Amino acid sequence: MRTLDHIGRVAALLFAVLASVSLSAQRQAPLSEVTVKAAYVYQFGTYVEWPPQDPNVAFTICILGEDPFGRALDELVKDENISGRPITIRRILETRNTDECRILFVSPSEDARLPAILKSLEAKPVLTVGDGMPFLRRGGMIAFTLQDRKVRFAVNLAAATSARLMVSSQLLRHATEVRQ
Amino acid sequence: MSGPVSGAAGARPLHGTFKQKLAWMTVLVSTGALVVAGTAFMSYHLLASRRAIARNLAVQAETIGLNSVSALVFDDERSAEESLAALRADRNIVTAAIYGTEGNLFAAYAARPEDEDGIDRVISARQEDTVRFQRRTADAFRTIVTDGKRRGTVHLVYSLNELFADLAGYLGITIVVIGVSILTARFAASRLQRTFSEPVARLAAAAEVVSRTKDYTVRVEATSSTDEFGMFIDTFNEMLAQIQAREREVEAGQSQVQQLNEELEQRVLQRTAELDATNKELEAFTYSVSHDLRAPLRRIDGFANLLGDKCQSNLPDEGRHFLARIREGTQQMGQLIDDLLNLARLGRKDVSIRTTDLSPIVSRVADALSRDSNGRVIDWRLQPLPTVACDPALIEVVFTNLLSNAVKYTKNREQTTIEVGAIQDDGGFPVFFVRDNGVGFSMKYAHKLFGPFQRLHRAEDFEGTGIGLATVQRIIHKHKGAVWAESDVDAGASFYFTIDAQPGAGARQTLSKGETR
Repeated sequence: MRTLDHIGRVAALLFAVLASVSLSAQRQAPLSEVTVKAAYVYQFGTYVEWPPQDPNVAFTICILGEDPFGRALDELVKDENISGRPITIRRILETRNTDECRILFVSPSEDARLPAILKSLEAKPVLTVGDGMPFLRRGGMIAFTLQDRKVRFAVNLAAATSARLMVSSQLLRHATEVRQ
Repeated sequence: MSGPVSGAAGARPLHGTFKQKLAWMTVLVSTGALVVAGTAFMSYHLLASRRAIARNLAVQAETIGLNSVSALVFDDERSAEESLAALRADRNIVTAAIYGTEGNLFAAYAARPEDEDGIDRVISARQEDTVRFQRRTADAFRTIVTDGKRRGTVHLVYSLNELFADLAGYLGITIVVIGVSILTARFAASRLQRTFSEPVARLAAAAEVVSRTKDYTVRVEATSSTDEFGMFIDTFNEMLAQIQAREREVEAGQSQVQQLNEELEQRVLQRTAELDATNKELEAFTYSVSHDLRAPLRRIDGFANLLGDKCQSNLPDEGRHFLARIREGTQQMGQLIDDLLNLARLGRKDVSIRTTDLSPIVSRVADALSRDSNGRVIDWRLQPLPTVACDPALIEVVFTNLLSNAVKYTKNREQTTIEVGAIQDDGGFPVFFVRDNGVGFSMKYAHKLFGPFQRLHRAEDFEGTGIGLATVQRIIHKHKGAVWAESDVDAGASFYFTIDAQPGAGARQTLSKGETR
């Protein structure tokens, strides 16, 4: 019995090692989840059309609540532009200051007051981005999901349309789910 | 073999050759033109197709690239693969692949599963936009750029099989057309043959018949056409008619000439026979006269001798002197008769030709003459002589006569030089000569030299009968040769002769026995 138990433990160890090796091999290529999300946030800006605005004003991406990206997003947009407008990143804590925001990433830290936040943005042309499918169900426009360890996203087209935002079909093509 | 000649018989080689030449010419021209045209068309098609393929690949790659930007941005391989799968519509695309900014494979498509292995996992991150034509495929790389940013690279591999199939089709069509054109050319050649080669063949056949049989009554059947061939045939027929007419004239003239010749020959034969008879009579006469003269002469000599012996004491000195003169005269006459008999005998005698070395004969004759020359010193200059075909006995007579003459006519010289030798004439035949430094003779009388009893000098000065050179001439003539002399008064004399007798010619001489020369 002891021998069998021993063999079982060795087998388990071996399996764990093999699994970790294969996992690390799989994870080798993709960037970290946060970086990918940061890039996606910026890229959404190129696949969504906002109502006409002053072209001289910078394109502002706001992060509401706890910033999960760190310097990743700043680095990414440093020399970039959207429709010829430079990009600025603003980190805010209150929804009062959302007027300039074109994209608003709602940090998971704000989950509790999400209904209020979304309510305050109602009818404003602001693309709301958040984490997890519940964000979408509660009225958010784009929600990050994880699928096979890859960052994917779902789109609530109804919410975006009501905010007068035109989401490109190119973007919708890559969405795991599109809510009408 | 007269009348019109059809082209079929006799002259088939030329007939076939002309037709073949026509066929070949036509085939060569049409095939050449088709090969050139086919090559030109195929080359153009190849060039045009390559351009079209390059353009088409660039456009397809660009389209796929633009469609795949968002997939690259959002790392959505499935979507990119779907974009690529649309390429299934173009069955020439073997494989297609999208690579990320680092050159790593992002999405791939293969028309057939076995082509998947050919897809590169990684390409250069700085791959440029190119379309490269390989042996069986065309490779297109297209960088995906949006907003001035490089998003990735599209790689398409296009199969050129369809292009090659097209070219093979063109080749097949060209070959079929060449085949058809060869058949057409053969047909055209046989048609052309009717116009060109048939009249030519008929002409050739007629010309062949004419040259083979010399039959100028042959005529070529005229063609209905009035082209150059028709004219040619007419001219040819006219020419034949002219030749025929001339031939007839020549034939008539020839038969006349032949008749005359025959008459002439007949006359010659008749005259020869007459001459022969006369000559024989003359010879017989000479012989019998000479023979008959000998007996009385011998009697005169004999009795004169007896008279001298028996009545020597009764005769006065004057009488003995007269008796001596009588004997001298009879001896001279005897010599004359002997010479005449010899000359006459030559006419009857056959020559017997043998290959003969002349040098020993001449030496022998010269020795004999030296012994009989009463102590005269003679400078013999005897060159070696060639070996010739002749009657040695007769030739010895010739040399004896010529050399004794030379000795005779040099007797007044303080120093006597007699030269015997041979030179070559223009034809390379030997010309013999006997040269002395004697009294010579005037060329004015040269024509009399070889006649019998002809003497250029007084008998008181030089004894002789005048038969010697006549004998020489007769012998030389019997050898079909010639004899002549060159001299001047007091300048010596040169006698030349040739011999043209062939070895074995004795038989002919025997056959011609009875003919007088």
